[in-house]
Amino acid sequence: MKPILECQGLTKKYGNFFALSNLNLTLERGQIIGLLGPNGSGKTTLIKLANGLLTPTDGHIIINSMSPGVETKKIISYLPERSYLNTHMRVEDILTYYVDFYENFNLSRATAMLKDLEIDTHARLRSLSKGTKEKVQLVLVMSRDADLYILDEPIGGVDPAARDYILQTILTNYTENATVLISTHLISDIENVLDSVVFLQYGQLVLNATVDEIRSQRGKSVDALFREVFRC
Amino acid sequence: MPWDLDNDRPIYLQLMERIQQDIIAGVYKPGDKIPSVRDLALDAAVNPNTMQKALAELERNGLVYSQRTSGRFITEDEVMLKKMKMQLAKEHIQQFFEKMHQLGFRDEETLEMIQDALKGERQ
Amino acid sequence: MLGKLIKYDLKYGYKIILIVHAVLMVACIMGRFVLNKVDFRAPSEALGAMLAIFIALFALLIAGVSFATCAVIAVRFYRNLFTDEGYLTWTLPATPLEHLWSKIISGVIWYTFDILLCYLGLLILVTGDNVVSLYTQIAPEMTEALGMSFSSFTLYIVLFSLFSTLASVIMIYASITIGQLFPGHRILGAIISYFALSFIIQIFTLVCMLLFNLFPYVGDTMTGSTASHYLFSSLGLGVLLITITAIPEYFITHYIMKKKINLI
Repeated sequence: MKPILECQGLTKKYGNFFALSNLNLTLERGQIIGLLGPNGSGKTTLIKLANGLLTPTDGHIIINSMSPGVETKKIISYLPERSYLNTHMRVEDILTYYVDFYENFNLSRATAMLKDLEIDTHARLRSLSKGTKEKVQLVLVMSRDADLYILDEPIGGVDPAARDYILQTILTNYTENATVLISTHLISDIENVLDSVVFLQYGQLVLNATVDEIRSQRGKSVDALFREVFRC
Repeated sequence: MPWDLDNDRPIYLQLMERIQQDIIAGVYKPGDKIPSVRDLALDAAVNPNTMQKALAELERNGLVYSQRTSGRFITEDEVMLKKMKMQLAKEHIQQFFEKMHQLGFRDEETLEMIQDALKGERQ
Repeated sequence: MLGKLIKYDLKYGYKIILIVHAVLMVACIMGRFVLNKVDFRAPSEALGAMLAIFIALFALLIAGVSFATCAVIAVRFYRNLFTDEGYLTWTLPATPLEHLWSKIISGVIWYTFDILLCYLGLLILVTGDNVVSLYTQIAPEMTEALGMSFSSFTLYIVLFSLFSTLASVIMIYASITIGQLFPGHRILGAIISYFALSFIIQIFTLVCMLLFNLFPYVGDTMTGSTASHYLFSSLGLGVLLITITAIPEYFITHYIMKKKINLI
């Protein structure tokens, strides 16, 4: 089967600064992958390029053998690190919005998850707490039957109970053919759910290995290795 | 409740150990069907692929067997289960002696202490 | 996809637009009522001053309503595409071209709605018996001064405004899009771009009027036909030029939306 994401000599420059520099990377299907690296290592740039929010300076990024465009946007479900919903909208309006725009949005799944989380669908987004807003966004993203889920810092500001629910949600909703790419700096929290990790630094690939490879070869957790590689 | 896992050893090994432990502790009885990979992974809060690998390893060891359509089952081979039990017991003893060595006790001394401890318990 | 995008663009801010236009309508109906009560046959200084304030108030009201419409169009474009909301908008399965046309069409719809309602409001305001009978007295003079009847004159103005809606909307969008090339000063960049574009169009208008000799000769007496000729040629030229400049603006906007989006 074709890889879900491929980067070939991918480069993104801002002025004289290389946010990504000649990155070669292949992500296979059916995996949960951690995208790790210190701030400014190029994680978000890579994610934006995959979503067609930026255009590469050089090289290619290929999703399911296509360049980013309408067809790739249909199969990528993206959770940005910020709240991107119009806060005047009610939760139910946002559900309708997703139904309107995404053919692969599963409304009953979303409704069930919102019910689990005891989120009132009549509530306006602006009246919800920050953590609840983040949960709503995650529910929307995970309720799409996508091929590639890209989650940028999904567990950043939430409490441990919510974090467990989020990880559960990810584990429950992704299917065998889907790939989940999770960018985070809180590695120890998600280490157990990852197949493999991709380390970026200065816009370049430092390491791409499975979690168990790292543990059996180096006798330490990915988290410990991360701290060692990026001593900060 | 996520399973309690160490940070420095491969996850699939720890999952194997945990399932073996569950078999010995009687959570699963010989011939029992074990939950699906997805359910087990959710329960353990680990990646399903890793759980899959752990179960595949257990299958390779003969501790579980799979039936094409109906899932995975614990072996009914009592000899095999007993062997596994012995194996685990051996490992524990070995670890114990190693720790005692580190504390500076010779094997004979350790043995004596165990006997004393047992006597103390019986009184 | 385009239809869905337009639907959501129109949904945004429709309440504000409807409310301000409802206020305008109510004000015009009340104004008509007031005008019908005034006795124009007894001119006095107090009446003149009151009328002046009255006219100024309505001019302000109409300007305010049109500005609110413009603001809703501009804010929708900016917020939906270039703030955090852009993360959702730009990852919808739609092309930049569809996004641009959705915004253009919804903007033109609101703009047209605004012009028509302002016109309607004015009609309601000035077609009371009192004003009509007053106007009949000065109608021949007005027609003489404008070179056409006052009603056709206003109709022309409305038509000119309607013709320029497309270009005006594109100009707003071009300014905002160019403004977002200056990270950190996006709104300031948009405002400066808008004034720069307006300035360029005015300079062009001036140059063209000089070139085509459209200014009335100094010293000539202003007859009705020259006055309206001057007014309409400069207005027409303005509409023509804003339309011509809208073409490169459109392509620049589309190019930036396609290649240079950089959400913070």
